[in-house]
Amino acid sequence: MDQLDFSLKYPFTATAKQALSESKLELNERIVELACERIKNAMREKKERTVERITIHESGKLEELAAFAASRMILGHMKNRFITNKFAVTESKRISAILETEDEKTVLEIGKELGMGEIFSSEKSGNGSETVKMKISTYLKFSPRALPYKLINRHLENGFVTISWQESIRLMEEAIRKRMMEIPIVKQPPEIIKKAVPLLIAEMPKQALPVTSFKEGDHPPCIEKLLDAARKHENLNHQARWYLAVYLLSIGLDIEKINAIYTNLPDYNERTTRYQLEHAKKRAYTVPSCASVTTYGFCVADCRIGNPINWHNRRDNNAGKR
Amino acid sequence: MQEKDRTTALKYFADYYQTASFDIPYVEKREFGIGNWKKIDSRHLGFANEPDFRAYLVKNTPFFVSHSTAYYKYPDATPIDKKNWEKADLVFDLDFHSEGKYDVYSKLGQVKHDAIRLAEEFLISDFGISKKNIHYVFSGNRGYHIHVVEDDFATIGSDERREIADYIMGRGLDHIKFFDVKELRPKVFKIESGPRADESGYRGRFARAVIEMLQNKPSDISRTFSKEEVKNRFIEGIREGNWNKQPYKPNDLFERLRPIAERLALRSVDTDAGVTHDIKKLIRVPNSIHGDTGLIAKRVTVGDIEKFEPLHDAILPLKGTLKIKFTEDVPEISIHNETHGPFKKETENELPEAVGLFFVLRGSAIQV
Repeated sequence: MDQLDFSLKYPFTATAKQALSESKLELNERIVELACERIKNAMREKKERTVERITIHESGKLEELAAFAASRMILGHMKNRFITNKFAVTESKRISAILETEDEKTVLEIGKELGMGEIFSSEKSGNGSETVKMKISTYLKFSPRALPYKLINRHLENGFVTISWQESIRLMEEAIRKRMMEIPIVKQPPEIIKKAVPLLIAEMPKQALPVTSFKEGDHPPCIEKLLDAARKHENLNHQARWYLAVYLLSIGLDIEKINAIYTNLPDYNERTTRYQLEHAKKRAYTVPSCASVTTYGFCVADCRIGNPINWHNRRDNNAGKR
Repeated sequence: MQEKDRTTALKYFADYYQTASFDIPYVEKREFGIGNWKKIDSRHLGFANEPDFRAYLVKNTPFFVSHSTAYYKYPDATPIDKKNWEKADLVFDLDFHSEGKYDVYSKLGQVKHDAIRLAEEFLISDFGISKKNIHYVFSGNRGYHIHVVEDDFATIGSDERREIADYIMGRGLDHIKFFDVKELRPKVFKIESGPRADESGYRGRFARAVIEMLQNKPSDISRTFSKEEVKNRFIEGIREGNWNKQPYKPNDLFERLRPIAERLALRSVDTDAGVTHDIKKLIRVPNSIHGDTGLIAKRVTVGDIEKFEPLHDAILPLKGTLKIKFTEDVPEISIHNETHGPFKKETENELPEAVGLFFVLRGSAIQV
């Protein structure tokens, strides 16, 4: 693969950084404009990828690469968790979609670059599907905290865990997201970077605030933790979203209010969220027991209440005693 | 505790600390905490090296001394965020909670057995941790700590450590998932594949535990397996990964084997106190003294753990005797190869110093 094409696909790699520095390209208004577009696209979750539509000319490619660096500079200056999260999620999803089409060598190379190194060795399992072995410590760092990924449901041997090729790409997506979140603070950026800030602030969703109307301590610690993550615009996995929704529905919150909480999530999509919430409401799921919550990996305290919903009974009783 | 007893205890402790050896890995990167009235009443202490630490203990002898499992750039900085966390040992706390004050000491063998299982079956076999990086430490009272000093696991965060603890405690373990079951024709099922005895992890442990149960107590699974021929055929099948060489339908078999699966996990690992997942936790310094017992929280090597007996090997090296009066009834207990008691409330006894001190610190006696 051409070095520049590789860099465009994987702009976080050392190869990309080198390509950019060798190009001696200076920051200019066109680059900042492209950078803003890239960030705005992430905020709107536009699926059309900057990389796919760009020119085949080398100068255009270099500009696009510089735009990635400039967008990180803008984010480093803004220090806005919401926008950074959106950017990280969108970029990691874009890159993992590309990874799925790559050959094994390239994928392993990217894995190495992401600190998942030596660990990868691919082999065909009995039924012909491809699996890879990964160090348990690496696996723990990058696997989603969701039931199917819990160690107890995995095969561990001598420090390694065996996972499917597909899952390894999912883990790389998480590693990329984490890498994208690590943005150095830029205190004194060039003037043209500063100018971009108000344009992006104007793009912030307007209704993302109602979640703060919850008082802390109103909910069991596991729910508080999820709400707090949502407040900070962190990403929640599907199971976390489901659990939070079932809990909030069962304490009588209406779909509007729950939806408002989910607008904080970096990959929020109104149609999907509403559909899922309405589905959950229709099915009238019961709140999972503390034992289940523990197996999902969401339990954070020893409340001894059996079911998260009992938090309110306990609180009310305590209030009565006082 | 009366002042006289405190003074005596601290004198014994100070004498021990004069020559004690700790061998704390990266002592200069750890935060220390000491306690006199509770386990920790002041923390954020730091020491450049072991001699400084020892000198401090001799001069300001405390009842309890702990260090962080974490390594910090500035271990004595406050508040904690300014310490700059770098990494942390992976630590497990295994203990036994019992009703009476003294019951626990007869159960320490069971806890030790679990500690060895944790190291051998889980940490070494499953997690691939090297033997030399695993340190057993008697907690000084009701259990054991295991310290893992290995870079691979040192940088993982709290959630990841909780995940490891969940695995070891078997949270969410479902042995039925070990099997692939196929419906041959309506309502006729066959086990396509199952765990083999030579596999690692819970799968292998489960297969081996079933074989062991068949060999030792087959009737606990079913009376059918009391017949030598039926039993051997099943064992032979399991060894090959073929679980169909027995007369039960898959679901019936799985239910009969459930109790075996439930015993595979380590229940005595205590995660409530946050020892494993709290990456800023302080833990008793190995080879320091536990102020509630006067026993040494001894570090034990992998080679010595089998024969280690806390109430013999973790006793302070004292030669004299101590006169004490019991303030409550105390059951018979064996310390240092000698049986002591039972003792009645209000009786006075002259006992070996370490034994007398033990009862005083447990709050069952006072010096006379």
